[in-house]
Amino acid sequence: MATAVFVVAAALAVAGGFGVIISRQPIRSVLSLVVTMLALSVLFLLLSAQFVFVVQVIVYAGAVMVLFLFIIALLGPARESARGRLRFQPWLSALFALAFLVLIWTMLQGIQYRQPDQTDMSIFGTVQSIAVGLFTTYLYPFELTSILLLVAAIGAIYLSRRSTDDR
Amino acid sequence: MSSLNIGGSQIDASWFLLLGAVLFTLGAIGVLVRRNPLVILISIELMLNAVNLTLVTFARQLQNMEGQLFALMTMTVAAAEAVVGLAILVDIFRVRDVEDIDDLSELKG
Repeated sequence: MATAVFVVAAALAVAGGFGVIISRQPIRSVLSLVVTMLALSVLFLLLSAQFVFVVQVIVYAGAVMVLFLFIIALLGPARESARGRLRFQPWLSALFALAFLVLIWTMLQGIQYRQPDQTDMSIFGTVQSIAVGLFTTYLYPFELTSILLLVAAIGAIYLSRRSTDDR
Repeated sequence: MSSLNIGGSQIDASWFLLLGAVLFTLGAIGVLVRRNPLVILISIELMLNAVNLTLVTFARQLQNMEGQLFALMTMTVAAAEAVVGLAILVDIFRVRDVEDIDDLSELKG
């Protein structure tokens, strides 16, 4: 059962990934990315990461992608010119990316995991276990994250304010 | 090689890692090949999602919560990156119409 779910979700994720890079219109790329993210959220559930699954659906597929859709609706349908200036760039970059994939695949063949920790798997990935890690060991990075978000919000407001005098 | 016991059936962890690698490669191709700046940002999001899948897979394999915590941090950074990147794009598009990322080459020496 879980194998079938994995195969379907993985196929959907790869199809969405191809849709992102093949679509001519940016709005189709965004919708393909939403498909990929929802498929990945199913995989997170398979890997017993319930909280990450919820955050992926609500924050990522919900909020961030809606932001992208808003921006595309604001900017209008931008057409991509058919040919770039560098003739060999697409083929060269695809070649290098495929070489990267082959490299990763080769590394995965000889992979050795260390002994797993003896964690209580009944609470693994729940909100409780996430919160214990987030508010004890990783409290300092967690608080720094709030500063990062504040800086991003201020930066976005500063960049997108309608300036009347300097332009 | 070690397989994860998920709901009674065994799935090898390498399949999850391979899927993450494939998605990351697709995103990298998108960044390198596409010339619309919006699509490049979307491809970056795809790469970040692939890395998240890898992190969660290792968290499950090693039965260690730290991978999932780091995946949450990645999501936060990705959200901040998307917000600032889109704000810069809107600011650029307000001045002129950019249909090719190669048009933005003022910093060229």
